Amino acid sequence: MSNTASIRRGPGNTLASIDHLSFRYPDSPNPAVRDVSLEVREGEVVLLAGPSGCGKSTLLRCINGLIPHMYPGEYKGGVTVGGLKVAETPMSTLAQNVGLLFQNPENQIFMFSVERDIAFGLQNLSVPREEMRSRVDETMRLLGITALADRAPHELSDGQKQRAALAGVIAMRPKLIILDEPTSLLDPKTALEVVALIEKLNRELGITFIVVEHRLELLIPIAHRLVVMDNGSKVMDGAPQEVLADGRAEGYGVGIPPVAKLYSALSKDGIRLPKVPETPEEMAEELNGL
Amino acid sequence: MTLIEFRNVSFVHQTGVTALTDVSLSIGKGETVAIVGENGAGKTTLVRHINGLLKPTKGSVLVEGKDTRETTTATLSRKVGIAFQNPDHQLFSESVENEVRFAMKNFGFGEDLIAQRLDWTLKFFGLDQYRKSSPLVLSGGEKKRLTLACILAWDPDVVVLDEPTVGQDALQKEKLGQIFKLLQSTGKTIIIVSHDVEFLWPIQPRLVVMSGGKVVADGQISQIMGNRELLEGARVTQPQLLRLYQGLASRPATPFLDVLEARDWIGGRKQKPEAR
Amino acid sequence: MYWLSGGFVFRKVISPFHRLDPRAKLLVSMEFFVLSLLSSTVVEVILILVAILLVATVAKSLRRIARTIAFSGLFAVFIFAINFLFGLGLLNALLYSVRFLAIISSTSVFFVTTSPDELEQIMKWMRVPRDVVFAFVTAVRFIPVVMLDAFQIMDAQKSRGLEFEKGNVLKRVRNLVPILIPLVVNSVIRSGELAEAMESRAYGSTPKPTSLYGMRLRWYDVAVAVPSLLLVSAVALVVVFHVTLYI
Repeated sequence: MSNTASIRRGPGNTLASIDHLSFRYPDSPNPAVRDVSLEVREGEVVLLAGPSGCGKSTLLRCINGLIPHMYPGEYKGGVTVGGLKVAETPMSTLAQNVGLLFQNPENQIFMFSVERDIAFGLQNLSVPREEMRSRVDETMRLLGITALADRAPHELSDGQKQRAALAGVIAMRPKLIILDEPTSLLDPKTALEVVALIEKLNRELGITFIVVEHRLELLIPIAHRLVVMDNGSKVMDGAPQEVLADGRAEGYGVGIPPVAKLYSALSKDGIRLPKVPETPEEMAEELNGL
Repeated sequence: MTLIEFRNVSFVHQTGVTALTDVSLSIGKGETVAIVGENGAGKTTLVRHINGLLKPTKGSVLVEGKDTRETTTATLSRKVGIAFQNPDHQLFSESVENEVRFAMKNFGFGEDLIAQRLDWTLKFFGLDQYRKSSPLVLSGGEKKRLTLACILAWDPDVVVLDEPTVGQDALQKEKLGQIFKLLQSTGKTIIIVSHDVEFLWPIQPRLVVMSGGKVVADGQISQIMGNRELLEGARVTQPQLLRLYQGLASRPATPFLDVLEARDWIGGRKQKPEAR
Repeated sequence: MYWLSGGFVFRKVISPFHRLDPRAKLLVSMEFFVLSLLSSTVVEVILILVAILLVATVAKSLRRIARTIAFSGLFAVFIFAINFLFGLGLLNALLYSVRFLAIISSTSVFFVTTSPDELEQIMKWMRVPRDVVFAFVTAVRFIPVVMLDAFQIMDAQKSRGLEFEKGNVLKRVRNLVPILIPLVVNSVIRSGELAEAMESRAYGSTPKPTSLYGMRLRWYDVAVAVPSLLLVSAVALVVVFHVTLYI
């Protein structure tokens, strides 16, 4: 079923590979993930979309190891990240390869100050104090939160909380970071800042991202790939513009940004634009040039 | 007719933090008003004044001409229904039908009326098949609809929606959009707090922009959304169709409200007058 | 209530006392505690109270401690009344109530000046098991968050016409159900998310976790700890063992 559309940029080697993965929770009659195969390459930003309950969250947990380590169930097929078989690798090792950030940063900050919280994961890995200090400082510099080092969680704004929670993940230096609806609680501008941060981390550090988000228009400009899931299966996979331009995406309940919708509609009317536009400004320019 | 009026309202929390500063605002019957602004701008605090959950530190809030200080939240809620952002903060009953009954019982509705309104509401929101189910087993989208059902069941004149689209996928948003249109057609006064500019744009509400506890703009959405500088300060972004419109060399006099309008204009079926 | 409850909540202040090693702060607080217990006259307790207030002044937290005293003052009056009514005499009744104030404010000094992070360090230093320490830390960390949950739930139910203050006792207890159930449900959801986040950050993967900060006694910790300890020991010797000093 997967779309064979070309991938826009061709990043490096395979980092994560999901091979015919199926998973069923013990208390559910139907599998949450059905026979999903997916290769994620080093340096990619992969956007994962699909209606609520389509199995996105379960898939994310299979990649970072919460499934099957924390949630056992009927597990078929396999997931490999950075050469490690997820089902056979302890969480402590996985945590240094895959970081997972959930929607609500509040529930991911454990300590009373930003810097101590960033150190939390490193403490658990027995990183010596000097190295811990330098990694914490480096992470805070990277995310522009050095000034917040001593702040308690309740002294942070929502955007700052999201950054602090991300810092805790980054300090563990994972190659792959999974973000589950990272911007849904943020105002538009703060959401854009988080997107810009993802782009920066991807560009400067080569961190690979898998992002679940309903507001596609925010992430389309930085995504290399768009994967659509429905009812547990992967149903589309390709360059974001092409998946969006494909009429099927809307049927799967993917929130198609207005500009992409307009592009599809115009194509049907016989108005062909030189390329699928990423932003409204780009589209306006293309239309002006017709 | 003015239904809700904020007169120079300031609100200071117990902690000493000022959440609202000198807010004046009047909302008429049947209006649709959207409130936008940065996280922590004071939107939710403002909304909590309408049914008297919060009382102003300075100034006054009037609902149907009556000062909220002189009445109770229970009385005001009969007129003003607020659907808060997180359904898990209110669902508690053992069944969906009892969840919907709860408020009507509190307001002293008779059994017949309750039964009648319950049927209507559950059907309207597509929740009829879950009547006897626990609210906790519903999906995120269904929970959201249930919280709306709980409120519309008692038929308040004013419906306040706090971030209705957060965490909702495209299909659920579409359903919300339809519910929204229906509410508008029944003449309800609607106040919606949201970050979701793409959801708000086609509705074309009156827009109130808040920033740092103050109302910084109040007017028609297409006019305010054109003012980038103002939006920047309140951390709001422009909707895509407006951005497209602004970039076009040849464009109609007013921005496209939806994809269909844009398609017609670009395809040469210019049904809108051209900009001079 | 909000104003009064502040007496035991840590507040971030830069002061010479806050800079002390948490163990030194604990020691000072315990010394006042012990002294209050050992004191046998009203004058002595008042001297101790004055000393506590002096320390509070150095810690720039005089107003906080004053709040604590104001708050516990109600109980002190109660203690005085009970003791007096049961015939312990005016002076003894006064002694007990003032001593109560001294004990409360001595502990308050510690809690107001010691951050939760420092509490964690002290617990680790006392070799409290890591899971217990972590449970304590998360509990303290999430108290305000759960309180916010509770307020939001109350607002949501009040907006559905629920009136807490209405009805007889039974009705009022039943009115709590719509608050408590969502509160429990939310806490369960929250702890699930917390567990996932802990697991994702390698919690429990090593028996010997390291930490970003250690506790190290510096000269001014010693300068506070040693003389005060000597002084309190001397007082204790005099009071408890009736050691007489021949000077």
